[in-house]
Amino acid sequence: MHTAETSGWRRGKILGWLGVLLVLVALGAFYGWYKFFRDVPQESWMTETPEMRFRYGSIGAENDAGIPYWIFYVLPRMFPDKLPGPGGYAALGVSWEQGRELPIGFTKKTIGFPRVANNCAGCHTTNYRAGPNENPVFINAGPGHTLNLEAFFRFLVDCAKDPRFNADNLMREINLVTDLPWDERLAYRFLIIPITKKRLLEREAQFAWIYRHDFPEWGRGRDDSMNLTKYFMIKVPMDNSFGPGDIPSIWNLKKYDQAGTTMNWSGDSHDSYSVIIDSALGLLGAPPKSNAAFLEQVKWLQDYLRNAPPPKYPFAIDTARAEAGKAVFDRHCASCHASDKTGRRMALAAVGTDRERMDTWSKDNAVAANKVVSSMGIERKGLVETPLEGYNPPFLDGIWARAPYLHNGSVPTLRDLLEPPANRPKVFWRGYDLYDQANLGFITQGDEAKRIGTRFDTSERANGNGGHVFGVDLPKGEKDALLEYLKTL
Amino acid sequence: MNESPMPAPGQDSWLADLYRKRWIRVVMLVLAIPTVLALVLGAYLWQRFGSDRAVEYTDVEEHFKYGSTGGEHVSGLPYWIFQALPQVCAQHLPGKGYASLGLIYEEGHDLPIGMSKRHHQGIDKTFLNCAVCHASTVREAATSKPRVYLGMPAQQFDIMGFEKFLFACAKDEKFSADFVVPEARRLAQANGQDLDLLDRYLVYPVAVALMRDRLLTIAGRFDFVYETPDWGPGRVDTFNAAKVLFNFPMRDLPAHEKNGPADFPSIWLQGPRKGMQLHWDGNNTMVEERNKSAAFGTGTTPPTLDTAAVGRIETWLLTREPPKYPYPIDAAKSARGGALYKEYCSGCHGASGRDFSGDYVGKVTALPTIGTDRRRLDSYSYDLAVNQSALYAGYPWRFAHFRKTFGYANMPLDGIWLRGPFLHNGSVPTLRDLLEPEKKRPSVFYRGYDVYDPVKVGFVSNVPSEGDKHYFKFDTQVDGNSNAGHEGPSFGTALGDPDKDALVEFLKTF
Repeated sequence: MHTAETSGWRRGKILGWLGVLLVLVALGAFYGWYKFFRDVPQESWMTETPEMRFRYGSIGAENDAGIPYWIFYVLPRMFPDKLPGPGGYAALGVSWEQGRELPIGFTKKTIGFPRVANNCAGCHTTNYRAGPNENPVFINAGPGHTLNLEAFFRFLVDCAKDPRFNADNLMREINLVTDLPWDERLAYRFLIIPITKKRLLEREAQFAWIYRHDFPEWGRGRDDSMNLTKYFMIKVPMDNSFGPGDIPSIWNLKKYDQAGTTMNWSGDSHDSYSVIIDSALGLLGAPPKSNAAFLEQVKWLQDYLRNAPPPKYPFAIDTARAEAGKAVFDRHCASCHASDKTGRRMALAAVGTDRERMDTWSKDNAVAANKVVSSMGIERKGLVETPLEGYNPPFLDGIWARAPYLHNGSVPTLRDLLEPPANRPKVFWRGYDLYDQANLGFITQGDEAKRIGTRFDTSERANGNGGHVFGVDLPKGEKDALLEYLKTL
Repeated sequence: MNESPMPAPGQDSWLADLYRKRWIRVVMLVLAIPTVLALVLGAYLWQRFGSDRAVEYTDVEEHFKYGSTGGEHVSGLPYWIFQALPQVCAQHLPGKGYASLGLIYEEGHDLPIGMSKRHHQGIDKTFLNCAVCHASTVREAATSKPRVYLGMPAQQFDIMGFEKFLFACAKDEKFSADFVVPEARRLAQANGQDLDLLDRYLVYPVAVALMRDRLLTIAGRFDFVYETPDWGPGRVDTFNAAKVLFNFPMRDLPAHEKNGPADFPSIWLQGPRKGMQLHWDGNNTMVEERNKSAAFGTGTTPPTLDTAAVGRIETWLLTREPPKYPYPIDAAKSARGGALYKEYCSGCHGASGRDFSGDYVGKVTALPTIGTDRRRLDSYSYDLAVNQSALYAGYPWRFAHFRKTFGYANMPLDGIWLRGPFLHNGSVPTLRDLLEPEKKRPSVFYRGYDVYDPVKVGFVSNVPSEGDKHYFKFDTQVDGNSNAGHEGPSFGTALGDPDKDALVEFLKTF
């Protein structure tokens, strides 16, 4: 019997069920958001001072490039054979303070679940030791001369490629180190691990060039940065170029406020704001979730790095000799390194250093990359849309800590750089952190340098140590004085 | 009787309607039988395999000797298999039973001091606890009854021998259910218990296979023990073992990091040690962190560490006094020694056996100054320290205090009479020998004997064997065993013999 009353009752019942369903869906959505997307501020110590924020503060890279914390944690234990040596992540030459859970430049942030990503400090922290029986000192914004970035990239991809990278094995290892609640175990097993594997494998094609056997290793402290930009940001097909550059210092960026200066080894980019944006986008691996928040981070970084002072030479300086060295410097070096030529483009022929780094980038690449960034709705002066000509003579602030030298890091010490190319070391080991006060640079020979460092052969592609034949004929006394003066910069 | 709303005929619920149909009743009965059976079976399996209970002790000393740290969960050895192995693999032991490895059995106990028991996953399991490395015995003479002292270094226990025995047994063809299960059952029956059908045909055969698999995996990671000189009893390469935890490829370690044997320390009176640089090289300043680090050696992992059980021991050790020297002390001689101690030793080793004040106590002295064997120091690397900083991640007590150092820490000397052999590598048998310059210290001696030498203060070190028990020949020429260092006028090695004797007499009062 279908009376108006019963059909009304039925409608009410259906609406009731719909209501229950809606509540369930809403609860499910909330749960999903809470477990996978909820943005939790980092622990306060990570950002409590500008120095700490630079080292451990998130720049937002956890969203897309982040690796789930517990996967990151167990990978070195499961795949130690894919690292360059014993020591877990330490074997990659990361700058790692004692007592800290993660190395400098590795950020921990919860977005639904804890994740690990990187910030600028991962490549831009210098560690040095004053003596063999000393622990390292870390300099913010210095070149990460010990970091084996290529090995880190390969490690993640190689782990993901290994058939042992599966939920069973990873969960067994994770359960040995932490006690996850049951729902997080399920999330790890059925979502987080498979998705992470897929994401890491997706990088393999873009990283094809770091697996090429016809290219030498980057080695510690170097980064084929323009090729990274090409294959990851503008996604051009792999070409035959190869040109790792020395990871630069990024302190005291104020100096680039001067009109006419350009940044990066070849003057590829207009200003520090653009360089920070482009580098940070590389770390994010995807367009920012919020441009406003991203640009606020960039502005903080720019402000911090504009004002970060170059580190003072931490050992004794003979002031009288340094004084004498200043005269040598003014006569032989200042015209390029402390003049209106400094930080500006210069033709390759004028310096004659290895050209491969320059050849990894083109005007077309610059145009394409600028388009990608502006399509994200980000305004910046950006990359210089003209062909590269050579390498910019750099400012020499904190030069003592920026070894090895030249754009490709092919000359171990400042003293070596004052030798004619034929007398410069042909093979040396990069990435050992013991400072060489006699020659200004790091120790690059001997058992420990060989064990810890990576072999650098100047006869290999992009590793040429020729060019910059300036000051090489100075008498020894003047070279010594000049080196003493360089300690003061 | 209350009025109850009786359903009017024809208005029964559809369920009751359905129930009246006979075939439905049959179907329901047919469904019910397996359901009930499954529930009963489930309940049985749950009670048989779901329980997790350690053997507990109300007395803290018993708890220290036989209580669990939680290590059996992940690392436990099935109890009856463990008991069967000395018979199954007798050829891999130096003598009869585990006692031949220097494990100490007390009367009325089925397990040695330092092993705990837990019922977990349907099987009794056993594994090591703190006492296995930190308790031992002393005899006044060869004919005396051994007396157990808790908290002293387990100077008789050969932990490398123990590891090698388990690994060798796991590799032996006899390590199979055919050999192990009947022996386990025989032992169980001899003890008034039995292994039932499920145990014999499922639980133990699976346990044998899993244990073999696990031991072989661990053996692979620990294979460095086959490439380093024997530690001998009372010593362990602490921080190379720690590297195994991270699965560092041990073969690729630099030569200078390999082989860093260290003497087991005493662990009493931890309260006054808070804040000191702990471990031989002073690499950690936090007692609780050092304890949790040591607990990895008892098979625990962050999720399985029994914090309450370990906490009990931790608290007990804060104030646990070392045992008093039980033999006569010459008071006048000791008083003379006290003056010398104050002059020569107190700055680094504390004002007395209880007063640990002193400018350098609990601090690291640089290696060139102390001059002792450098292997233990070099075995600890900066890379290991930073990796340890990630241990217990996600817990409020994540490790944060490990530091690479460049020397050895100056220890307080409480209960020093029980802490021989001396120096961090146990390379000098007695205190009196330590007061001699390197050249006059014994270059070869025997370790692991528990008969006491009250004259030189330490254990008798010139006895190669007693009965069928052979002691470890310690050769100071072997890599890692150097007895050099802690030497020179400021270390008292240039004093006259009567002064040295007096100093040793005074140290008995610690």
